[in-house]
Amino acid sequence: MSARLATSVGSLALANPIMAASGTFGYGLDLLEFCPPERLGAVVTKGLSPKPRRGSSTPRIVETAAGMINAIGLQNIGVEAFCTDALPVLRQRGAVVAVNVFGERMEEYVEVIERCEREDGIAAYELNVSCPNVSAGGIEFGHDPAQLEHLTRMCRDATRRPLWVKLSPNAPDLVGTARAAVAGGADALTLINTLRAMAIDAEKRRPVLARGCGGLSGPAIKPIALRMVWEVHRALPEVPVVGIGGVESGRDAAEFLLAGASAVQVGTAIFREPVAPLRIVSELELFCDEQGVAEVGELVGALEWH
Amino acid sequence: MAKAPEVSHNGAGMIARRDLAVRVAARSDLSPTCFRLTLQTEEPFDAVPGQFGMLSCSDGFDPLLRRAFSLAGVSRRGNNAEVELLIKEVGKGTMLLRHAAVGSALRLLAPLGNGFSLDPGPHRLALVAGGIGLPPVLFAAEALAARGTQFDLYLGGASAAELLELKRCGRAVSRAGGELVLTTDDGSRGEQGFITAALVRRLSEGRAYSRVLGCGPTPMLAALTLLVRGHGLEAELSLEEPMACGMGVCLGCVVELADGRYVPACKEGPVFPVSRLAAGWWG
Repeated sequence: MSARLATSVGSLALANPIMAASGTFGYGLDLLEFCPPERLGAVVTKGLSPKPRRGSSTPRIVETAAGMINAIGLQNIGVEAFCTDALPVLRQRGAVVAVNVFGERMEEYVEVIERCEREDGIAAYELNVSCPNVSAGGIEFGHDPAQLEHLTRMCRDATRRPLWVKLSPNAPDLVGTARAAVAGGADALTLINTLRAMAIDAEKRRPVLARGCGGLSGPAIKPIALRMVWEVHRALPEVPVVGIGGVESGRDAAEFLLAGASAVQVGTAIFREPVAPLRIVSELELFCDEQGVAEVGELVGALEWH
Repeated sequence: MAKAPEVSHNGAGMIARRDLAVRVAARSDLSPTCFRLTLQTEEPFDAVPGQFGMLSCSDGFDPLLRRAFSLAGVSRRGNNAEVELLIKEVGKGTMLLRHAAVGSALRLLAPLGNGFSLDPGPHRLALVAGGIGLPPVLFAAEALAARGTQFDLYLGGASAAELLELKRCGRAVSRAGGELVLTTDDGSRGEQGFITAALVRRLSEGRAYSRVLGCGPTPMLAALTLLVRGHGLEAELSLEEPMACGMGVCLGCVVELADGRYVPACKEGPVFPVSRLAAGWWG
């Protein structure tokens, strides 16, 4: 991999712009033989809460046209187990780690960050304020700009590390929530999380998922994600954006960069191909070759409007 | 199962999972809805009965995800291997596989998960399969027959057409000196009724088993769970849950354990000892 893919999200330098997305790559070490975490720009952990979470009952997932709906309910091992078991190995391997942070109450977000602050080897925090699959916390904070600004400020006060806020595509006012996160002290914005969605079993006349609704991901949501990245980038051109939504190829990643993302997360693609993030790194490099792009940063926000 | 040196193993001594390039070597219909797919790997490969693979079924995005199939058998051929799957057409992905041309290239992520324990114990084993739950049970039956372990094979289906691979089942059972018990819901073949009823009849006649190995539709496995618990029998069941990744990262396929935890069936299963499972694990 050449230096031409080197990029940054705000103050955080990355060897390449491709990350593994939260909830699709475990705690960074689960797919080692296919995708060593240190070869990616960064890895984002499964959302971590102060205590382990059991998650939702089943069925939790259903495939839909060019996508899937999940309602996992943030099952995770808890921040303590992550810091004790996974983080030392990630650190030793030299992976760039972003910790995805979740709480049912605002204080729990701070609790997770405070625990992580005692550890070296964490490059950034990504606040999950947009999970559609838990009944308390998360999504409420992500939909109300005033609450989001307050939560972001509480977390900002707890750390000097880069703070990203993962925005909800389900919020009534996307740009409003983006501005609120930035006002609260966010260094970057990740968008988008999954779209609230539903699948129905017509014979049984019931929703397929145990929770009824879940979050849609995969190639089906890419056009929406691109539009949202572009809208937020246009409204807040100085704020770094991490783009995510249905990225399956290097060309998809380039599209997100053009829309204004500084880096790109790969999620659902990992489920069908565990080596997908590395393949996308190679394809993006090839795309730069073919297009005469000397440094990948040239692509960021380079969409030409007609 | 004998492991040749050219098959790589992971740190835990298990056969390392890989994303294999495979070709469709053969395909044949077994019933109006079920077919056998033989895949040829271009790398050394081995697996234990009960392990599964995630098979791609299209290059495009619909279907998006691979499909999980328990392996029905593996034949080593030098540096290559043939992997056998028994598949029921239930939707678009399996429809595409049914029409995959011989020679077409697919990807198979395998071997995944934990298989059956094939330890013999003091009595014979009872192998129980319902419908398209046959593949891991057939794999186990042929492996047990090859090592001379005694077992009875219970095979149930809705009708005679759903009793697959009867010749192979019969051969494995006679090699093992056991009984092949067939049941159908409609009585078109074997004993009429559920396969669990046939097992209960033999248990009440005094037949003793060291352990039950089972795979089939969830209602059958639920009935089998109650049965073995009632009779104080050990059992290992291969469970089926919707899976996106097959590698333990999506957490879609969780099963509830006796201690209340949800664990991914793809990684901690798909074969679970009944004693590990929650009382009403089927939900």
